[in-house]
Amino acid sequence: MLEHTWTEHYRRIEASEPTAIVGSPGLRSIGKLVVDSLVERLRPELVASLYSTHFPVIYQSEPSYAPDPRFPGFGGALVEAGETSFPKVEFFFHEHPPLIITRGYHADFVGQYEVAEKVLDFYEEAGVRRMIVVAGYVGKDKDVCCAATDSKLIDEAKSHGIETSYAGPFYGFSGLVFGLAKIRGIEALCLFGRTEAVAGDLQCPDEDASRFVLKELSQLLKLRNVF
Amino acid sequence: MEVRLLKQPELRKPCIVSGLPGIAYVGKLSVDHLVQTLHAELFGEVYSKFFPPYVLIGKDGIVELLRNELYSWKNKESERDLIFFTGNAQAVTPEGQYLMADKVLDTAMRLGAERIYSVAAFVTDRAIDTPRVYGAATEEALIDEFKRQGVLVMEEGPIGGVNGLIFGLAKVKKLQGVCLLGETHGYTTVSGQYLVDANAGRAVLEVLSKMLNVKVDLSPLDRQVEQMKEAIKRMAEIEEYAIKKTEEAAAKGYKNYIT
Repeated sequence: MLEHTWTEHYRRIEASEPTAIVGSPGLRSIGKLVVDSLVERLRPELVASLYSTHFPVIYQSEPSYAPDPRFPGFGGALVEAGETSFPKVEFFFHEHPPLIITRGYHADFVGQYEVAEKVLDFYEEAGVRRMIVVAGYVGKDKDVCCAATDSKLIDEAKSHGIETSYAGPFYGFSGLVFGLAKIRGIEALCLFGRTEAVAGDLQCPDEDASRFVLKELSQLLKLRNVF
Repeated sequence: MEVRLLKQPELRKPCIVSGLPGIAYVGKLSVDHLVQTLHAELFGEVYSKFFPPYVLIGKDGIVELLRNELYSWKNKESERDLIFFTGNAQAVTPEGQYLMADKVLDTAMRLGAERIYSVAAFVTDRAIDTPRVYGAATEEALIDEFKRQGVLVMEEGPIGGVNGLIFGLAKVKKLQGVCLLGETHGYTTVSGQYLVDANAGRAVLEVLSKMLNVKVDLSPLDRQVEQMKEAIKRMAEIEEYAIKKTEEAAAKGYKNYIT
């Protein structure tokens, strides 16, 4: 019997307390763009993929990060370079510093919490104690602002010049992984890149905003060759 | 669906007082006010995959999952203590709402609960100066009880969401149940958000505090009532302006007038 959500492991992660980086195609696709840049520039190894019967290939409601129980979307296969594939969450491992770079995918309404829980199961097995989420926010203030699971992390971010600015809801894959990390005892910081909403196309990529987030992230993690 | 008990409170024949966010936030506002003014103690958190797909970032930058909460309070003026059930969201689907109501009632019954008061909204289009409070109950004696407080009997109609289901399932589980509904217009903003109707909440609390035998200061709600009246007035002015502009445009013969 097919499980609803399952993970295929390609290689075991052997690292001491890797930091998870989480991004998904949310507001103006900022999180996904940051993750794509990290994958392109750091060339981490794909170590696992998470699949779910709750991943539509076609969404019936827009944006994809705000699922509606009345519109579950359509399942299906994806074709990549002529070969069949499925929608998935991908986990990439980078050795120095140890990072698990995660490219998220939005589930339908029924599966969204289950998928986020399974992602956190994967992190716990890999010994993750700290996470950085990357996403976008609509505001008029800072180019990049932060949120966190506790005030200690906020203070840490402030010491790097990153202030809080956004208050409100945080939708979708990355938001739920972020919130559920808190009750699992995983420390999590979120970097939000400032953007503007595009009516009718909230996921329209904002490359400039993603670059601001990537810059702050690379400074926090002391990553070279990224920015 | 997971009920996380932070502690196991020792309570005397507790009554559950339940109110989740719904129309005009009447239920949530009422229960939140009781929790805050009585300094009730948080003893349980309920997390559910049926909550809406987002988390909340607070003004301090700290993230919070959507959750429902259980609080306890020892009532020195009565032989019954209280369990409050509220939260920052409602489970979205009927399945999620049934599961939530069922789990919470079971948890409260294990703590000795015998009765529940659920607070909800009663939507009306009549001009409201002083909101009425309507009621329904699981048995005749309870109807007589709330009638003595000036509550009108709700003759028929649905009570949507967990605020209705928790009351309905109470009867199935042989608990005594009363649902008190504050009269409201259920105004929404342009983005579809309900305006908090503190006037309706206040009306329910006046009745509920007597039925629970608790003394509660309702004056902090006065400011919220004034804010709500101001917001409704502004919305009416905007609507009036839009109608006037549309009529002017129509008089000029414009077919598609955008303000």
